Amino acid sequence: MSAARARRTEPILSARGIVNRFGKQRLHDKIDLDVHAGEILGIAGGSGSGKSILLKTLIGLHHPDGGKVLIDGKPVESIDAREKAALIGVLFQQGALFSSLTVAQNVMLPMREYTDLPLSEQEKIAAVKIELTGLPADSAMKFPAQLSGGMVKRAALARALALDPRILFLDEPTSDLDPLNASGIDELIVQLNRGLGITVVIVTHDLTTLLTVCDCVAVLVDGKVTVDTVDKLARSHDPWIHDFLHGTRAQGAMNVRKSSHGIG
Amino acid sequence: MARRFVAHGEWNLMPGSMKSSEPTLAVAGEGERLSLEGVLTLPTLERAKAALEHVRKQRTSRVLNLSKLSALDTPGAMFLCDLRDKHVELVGLQPEHKALLELIGGLQRKVPPKSPAVARWRQLVIQLGKGADNVWRDSIDIITFVGRITSAFGYALTHPASLRPASISRQIAETGINALPIVGLMAVMISIVIGYQSAAQLRRLGGEEFMINLVAVSVIREMGVLITAIMLAGRSGSAFTAEIGVMKAREEVDALHAMGLRPIELLVLPRMIGLVIALPLLTFFADMMGLLGGAMISHSLLDVSLPQYLERVRSSVELKDLFVGLIKAPVFAFFIATVGCMHGLRVSGSAESVGRETTHAVVKAIFLVIVFDALFSVLFEKLGL
Repeated sequence: MSAARARRTEPILSARGIVNRFGKQRLHDKIDLDVHAGEILGIAGGSGSGKSILLKTLIGLHHPDGGKVLIDGKPVESIDAREKAALIGVLFQQGALFSSLTVAQNVMLPMREYTDLPLSEQEKIAAVKIELTGLPADSAMKFPAQLSGGMVKRAALARALALDPRILFLDEPTSDLDPLNASGIDELIVQLNRGLGITVVIVTHDLTTLLTVCDCVAVLVDGKVTVDTVDKLARSHDPWIHDFLHGTRAQGAMNVRKSSHGIG
Repeated sequence: MARRFVAHGEWNLMPGSMKSSEPTLAVAGEGERLSLEGVLTLPTLERAKAALEHVRKQRTSRVLNLSKLSALDTPGAMFLCDLRDKHVELVGLQPEHKALLELIGGLQRKVPPKSPAVARWRQLVIQLGKGADNVWRDSIDIITFVGRITSAFGYALTHPASLRPASISRQIAETGINALPIVGLMAVMISIVIGYQSAAQLRRLGGEEFMINLVAVSVIREMGVLITAIMLAGRSGSAFTAEIGVMKAREEVDALHAMGLRPIELLVLPRMIGLVIALPLLTFFADMMGLLGGAMISHSLLDVSLPQYLERVRSSVELKDLFVGLIKAPVFAFFIATVGCMHGLRVSGSAESVGRETTHAVVKAIFLVIVFDALFSVLFEKLGL
């Protein structure tokens, strides 16, 4: 793993000295974070630790009080819309599917805006993306209101993948899902990472996702971030990280991990 | 974990190099053996299709060499999979492209069939039927809801402790006191409009001073209450729907039910009673402001002083005219609150239904206000008031 990371020269996404304040409270205190091409990075932390704000900062939706974010070597705020659409895909926590459009139209929207493919071709690509995320073919014609929670996440994932982005940002992809659906999403993330070679950044507090899917985990505690593999984090002396990775829930997730990885 | 890392290797470094310039794609070779060089992604896909069209048509080339392909995305992989389905042999694939091709190749890749379009004339008939059905259901809903409110009100009368004075007074403040400025302004404006229009017409008959009668009577009997009711339908009726609707969408109404509390008693009655008290008071305020507007316009157009104006108003308006206007106010208030609260409770789950129900509530409330105003006009005419 460390050898694999050392081979990479330039990180595809890097954040330097990110500071975010809420009043006098420092939510993020000079955070540095690197994401390397092809890896799956998990961002973990307790409720209110600023995970979602960090994600919004990374994709340029939130302007930090200090520091900068570079994606592919360029400051995120200077990347133009078209380039950004092809560079990053985002799955929002509630899916954020446009309620007036069908699933297929949702997936086709970025293509319609940024490419001049004929409609039939767009429909075909949309159908493949929808199938890729594991949705039944007939759900393409449905409206978001007609979908269950798990299907909404999958449809939103299909939309995030519409332009084959190089980095995929997922905000709580498995929250509000039943365990079966959640592990389905986990498998899907790994499959997309392997098959399409997409770099993935996941904000989550789902321990199973962190332990079984992520190559690397960034833990946000007290405004600081600690990035390492799960195994090394488990030996950390920080009380929050220790409790987080040694609680009863973590034990269950560790067992899942052992069985899926054939002992660590 | 390590295994996975090696598997995709340096895959992502390659699309990075293509970004420096315009992505290029070239087709090399002839006849049976062709090769693709460069980038096969969304921007170059159309070019690749055009270049390889004859391969699909003439069926001459059966081998496609892909060893010099530097980048491939899903649409590109779809295209290659389609070629493979047509028995074109793909050779020299790089491992990471192979993984993608396998992922895409394992899918059905079919656009689901669209449901056949309904003919336009049939759509019209269907819409007409649905519309009629909606009107029928709406009428039943309103009647049912009025029944439920009456029953809740009857219960409240026999159990005065169940009335919530704090909540009612907050509603009066919200729907009444906070609406004073806008309602007053509207009343002044309306009487200025009526004044100007009637003065222009009456001047030709030489009876300009009758403008005062016209303004006073129309404001006191009709315009005061109508303007106030329409204003409150837009301002408070919509607020009722939105407030109750959001509570419904967030399961707060269900929580009330689960605690054994009655949403009608807690949410609907205070709003209803508050509006029924506030609207007549606001109407009286609007009447007075309308007369003030009348005084302003008569002063500027006819040079009539305030005592003269008041004398003229006193001779033209009777006390019954004031009551004819005010008696309508509680009825309008009742329907505005009924429609507003009913649509709020009709909200189902999603946030967009709050917006839809609010629009319906406002349109329906204004419609009902005008319909009942017309009915009142006929009634008062028959009664000789």
